[in-house]
Amino acid sequence: MTPTSDLDRVTMIVLRYMRRPLFALLFVYSVGVMGMALMPGRVVDGETTYMNLFHAFYFFTYTATTTGFGELPNDYSDEQRLWAIFCLYTGAVAWFYAIGSLIRLVQNPHFIQAMEGFRFARKVRGNVDPFVILCGFGDTGSLLARGLSDHRMRAVILDFDPERIKALGVRDYTVAMPGLCADASTPKHLLAAGVEHPTCRALVALTNDDDVNLKIAVMARHLNPQLRVICRSTSARHEANLRALDNVTVVDPFEIFSQLVYWAIARSELHNLNAWFVGARGVELGVPVYVPRGDWILCGYGRMGRWINRCLREHGIGVRIIDPDVDTNLAREGTVMVQSNADLSALKEAGIHDAAGVIAATNRDADNLSTLLSVTELNPDTFRIVRQNSHENQVAFDAARADLVLQHSLTTARRILKLLISPLVQDLIDWLAQREPAQTKALVSRLQATMVKAPPHLWSVKLVPGEAPAVTDYLEAGGTVVLGALCRDARSFPEALPCGALAIRREGQAVMLPDEDFPLGVGDEVLFCGVKWVEPMLQATLHNPYTLRYVITGFDESRGYLFAWLEDRLRRRRSDARRNGRRPRP
Amino acid sequence: MNLERVVFGFFIILTLSLNYAFVAGGIESPAHHNVWILTLTIIVNLVAIGLKLGDRSQTGALLLASGLVAGLLLITARVVWIVADAGGGGAPGPGDMADIVSLATGALVANIIATAILVGDTLLSRR
Repeated sequence: MTPTSDLDRVTMIVLRYMRRPLFALLFVYSVGVMGMALMPGRVVDGETTYMNLFHAFYFFTYTATTTGFGELPNDYSDEQRLWAIFCLYTGAVAWFYAIGSLIRLVQNPHFIQAMEGFRFARKVRGNVDPFVILCGFGDTGSLLARGLSDHRMRAVILDFDPERIKALGVRDYTVAMPGLCADASTPKHLLAAGVEHPTCRALVALTNDDDVNLKIAVMARHLNPQLRVICRSTSARHEANLRALDNVTVVDPFEIFSQLVYWAIARSELHNLNAWFVGARGVELGVPVYVPRGDWILCGYGRMGRWINRCLREHGIGVRIIDPDVDTNLAREGTVMVQSNADLSALKEAGIHDAAGVIAATNRDADNLSTLLSVTELNPDTFRIVRQNSHENQVAFDAARADLVLQHSLTTARRILKLLISPLVQDLIDWLAQREPAQTKALVSRLQATMVKAPPHLWSVKLVPGEAPAVTDYLEAGGTVVLGALCRDARSFPEALPCGALAIRREGQAVMLPDEDFPLGVGDEVLFCGVKWVEPMLQATLHNPYTLRYVITGFDESRGYLFAWLEDRLRRRRSDARRNGRRPRP
Repeated sequence: MNLERVVFGFFIILTLSLNYAFVAGGIESPAHHNVWILTLTIIVNLVAIGLKLGDRSQTGALLLASGLVAGLLLITARVVWIVADAGGGGAPGPGDMADIVSLATGALVANIIATAILVGDTLLSRR
């Protein structure tokens, strides 16, 4: 048995629904047309005329559809008129029956679903641009889709909730984002979404259910082993499972969130750089938020709280915990644990007056906001970090004026976006996180000098014939291209364009913060950060062999054969003259 | 300043000017069109094509293409002139003259495009 496609299903449903009305129409038409042809017409010159079959069909067509042009082509006899009455009633009834069935058909939910599936699959199949499959269109999914749209990257969206897919239709994305309401863990739907499509770049599993995410990741791996899979997972068991597969990246929202909290507390310069890279609102490069040192009060000790606690403790930061469900008997030596809601008394008990700051990290926005109010009342100087759970409460969190608002759906979406658009950026941030803060500061001051307050624009260039033909030709001809030369401004040689290379990936190995005289090779992927207009300028250098040669040598080379030949001769004569000049006279 | 750019720009713009000089005037009147100007246009155009040979950039390819189009049309116009003026001495009739001038006008369009590309490329590269 061959597998049925959506098109087969559509055809089947149409045939099943329309079989009866079509037969009814056929029957009524044949009886009416034949009857009309057999009815004796007016007597002309002593002979009875008959309507021919074509005219009868013409008559029936305009009668059955209740158009009624009158008695064409000649006036009818009474017999014909009698038959015309019969034709009118039967024809009109048959037509209404057929039209009614058709309307019922297009309202049939199975038909609508099959049509949508068919249209979706056709749209995905006909797509020629690179795209990402997004399974799950909740808070994180919609934020990620927005980010992808800002980078003009297409996404194909699967979600089981019809409301979310309907909401997708009214968004103003810059690129087409087809969506289908379907269970993403069914392989049929993954295939329709283009898992095997040649331009499919990655699959992102973002549903709220870890089991479903695991299922999607495993299905996708089986359907297309080369496809990159990014999977949201909060369960350690699944993570171990998924990490064993290659091409699968596990993203844990709690881990990312707690990492960001730690950076905000202890590595403010890195947090500042990271926020600037992702384009967070109101972030100025090189102006990190000042965070006081000391113990932190953590309100909420659920899954997120545990991650934050572990992460902060690993880096030697003291944590005092407030949670209604925490077991104070399990408290280790030297840790403060308060078993209560994070209200005024609990905050006092946890020692708000000598704490560096408060992290309100429960999974209820109302609790977090009320904790913020209590903290402001007790000690307005305390540094306040708050977790925002729902995207809809944005306005309330803006009004609360916390020192740092972290929304885990946003942080997760940004992390995935970075992995999809420019994975080297994340590698760079991770690399900097493991190094001394001085290294980050050096990079920040370098970027400050280059960018001069312009917003960051990150893009990566792969030195392959498709993307940088001039460079690959030059390298293959035996030349050397260093990074600094590539970044020179062809309009005002030898000044540099306001951009800098942050990282280079060569054969899977990443070189972070390469310096000016780093020699480039074919196949390198270079991550640039610069002012927006630099990208097209650099593109010109990468594509035009003459511009490339000019920025490398500072010498505008001849283009045509004639001038190249003339120049060659001139050079040879000059060098001959020099050689003759040096020769000692006998 | 680059000597090659000067020479190439000179030939491209000279082709355009000569081409216009030939085309200007009544389309059917042989008195308004000089066969020497047409011949000179062809020669200058061929030189411009020759100078562009060997350029590997995208604009170079486009300039070469427009030069080839102009050359093709101008040479066709010259051939029509020769055929129409088979006897020698006299000038082609009004019908043939119209053909010749309309072909040369086509070449004028190609030359305008070439000049526009040249000017645009120079302005965009801003060096």
